[in-house]
Amino acid sequence: MNNKRKKSFSDRSISIIAYCFIGFFGVICLYPLILTLSASLSSEKDIVRFGYSLIPKDFTLDTYHYMFLNSGKQILKSYGITIFITVVGTVGAMIITSMMAFAISIRTLKYRNIIAFISNFTIVFSAGLIPWYVVCVNYYNLKNNILALILPSIFSVWNMFLMRTYFSSISPSLYEAAKIDGANYFTIYWKIAIPLSKTAVLTVGLMYALQYWNDWWNALIFINDKDLFPLQYYLYTILSNVNAISSGRIPAGASAGITLPMETVKMAVTVITIGPIIFLYPLVQKHFVQGIMTGAVKE
Amino acid sequence: MKSNNDMILPKKKKNVILRELKENRMLYLMCVPGLLVMLLFCYIPFSGIWMAFTDFNVVDGIFGSPFVGLDNFKYFFAKNSMGWKVTYNTLYINFFGIILGLIVPISIAIFLNEIKSKIFKKLTQSMMFFPYFLSWVVVGAIIYGLFSTDVGVVNHILSYFGVKPISWYSQPQYWKAIIIFANVWKWSGYNSIIYMAAMSNFDHSLFEAAKVDGANKFQRIINLTIPMLKPTAVILTLMSIGRIFYGDFGMIYGIIGNNPVLIDEVTVIDTYVYQSMRTLGFSYSTAIGLFQSIMGLILVTIANKVSKKINDGEGLF
Repeated sequence: MNNKRKKSFSDRSISIIAYCFIGFFGVICLYPLILTLSASLSSEKDIVRFGYSLIPKDFTLDTYHYMFLNSGKQILKSYGITIFITVVGTVGAMIITSMMAFAISIRTLKYRNIIAFISNFTIVFSAGLIPWYVVCVNYYNLKNNILALILPSIFSVWNMFLMRTYFSSISPSLYEAAKIDGANYFTIYWKIAIPLSKTAVLTVGLMYALQYWNDWWNALIFINDKDLFPLQYYLYTILSNVNAISSGRIPAGASAGITLPMETVKMAVTVITIGPIIFLYPLVQKHFVQGIMTGAVKE
Repeated sequence: MKSNNDMILPKKKKNVILRELKENRMLYLMCVPGLLVMLLFCYIPFSGIWMAFTDFNVVDGIFGSPFVGLDNFKYFFAKNSMGWKVTYNTLYINFFGIILGLIVPISIAIFLNEIKSKIFKKLTQSMMFFPYFLSWVVVGAIIYGLFSTDVGVVNHILSYFGVKPISWYSQPQYWKAIIIFANVWKWSGYNSIIYMAAMSNFDHSLFEAAKVDGANKFQRIINLTIPMLKPTAVILTLMSIGRIFYGDFGMIYGIIGNNPVLIDEVTVIDTYVYQSMRTLGFSYSTAIGLFQSIMGLILVTIANKVSKKINDGEGLF
């Protein structure tokens, strides 16, 4: 009797710890985002006086108004660039990645191991940033070129292998039947393999879309032209100026020329940058988790 | 006779290759775009490695510039140079990243498994997964909101307890820790999914048997769940160890920006290459990048061997 109660006590405390830990971590993950959203909806005066708070003291859309009046053009332009590179990049990357993944998932392809090795080697060893940069700028002319935001990240070996895992799980007998009916491998890929791997296509597609949406590194390296700034890089330029000035190391004369954006504006730009993700998140999350889970298990 | 054979063999081999390429023409064609991207952005840049051994100038080009041997590497590892410091920073940040990257996601996976309420589980899981979707620039903005001197949340909390506000953005000593925690914050939700995938494949009869034998939850976690998660944890850890010489450029620059006071404290090999590209020249920074790639290659090879030994011949790649 005593033993039994003790056991259930230990079990119950595990449950309580689980709820507390998970709840705590969940809140930690969400809290800063709510803070950001709330700051963008507060008035500058309140932020300066009370600091950031979880709920806006005085709900106002002034910041968004101000921002679109002042730098609306730049924001819209950057939005356009980001949407363009996300759409074109994701579609291109999906075509390139899925075709190759399908090809090397076919067991009768004799040199598929060589192709896999060529791909793996790029993960294991790279020339480094500088040779890559020199080649891109001097030979491919990517400086201040919108292609610089698309091409360098259009193929990920990791994603290719993830897709191959899915394609490998399709029974080859399905392909054989189609082949007897006279279909070539491209038709099989397009008509059979892709429709049977919807989760994989969705998961890898999302990974690419997210990568393009969140990319600012390619812009940092290649783009000086303000007209080609993607959204993330625009936010980066705003923040890094603020950041440098907060260090107190920049002489007053130099910082006098730079007008610091207001606290609320920084947060509003952040919210605009996350915006579409917040709306899409509830829709895609479930499939995405599923895709990662199945991919992880099969590996 | 022998020479005759030699003559025939290569020809035969060539025929075999040609026949295979012809037979599976479509499949090889489908690989061409991917191979082309790798050729352009991974293999052709290899030629630029030569810059590491020269004193590169634009006029003479990559192969015309004067050869200097290992001077660039010597300069990197000279006394009081940045070489040791950036290597130390990279290893330090990654080491704690790996440790916390084991503890936190595994705890999340185990505890999530103990939660009965479906709504609570779904809700918290979505909350924890969300940071994965944010770019480091956005994380940097959030961190600014937390740590800004005048309006930041942390200083407000500190002042509530009577502690003087800290000027975080001019105090380098805090930033290694902040960066390590930001990394855990961003990735734990995602990584816990991989452990949960492993857990969903567990043999449930074992747990039932343990229950019948009177093992409580705690004992089941310690004696069953954790040992069964070990293979997944080992693989993921080996992969991270293989990449321990690689820093996350986006993370450092997204959070620190070009703050001149903080950057030296947290600069990793990747960010140092970028900084020195502008100030110390292409040859020197190529040499640092090459040092990093070679260390990475060595570690990945070792990690792969270890993985093969542990997992019955199953390597990382």
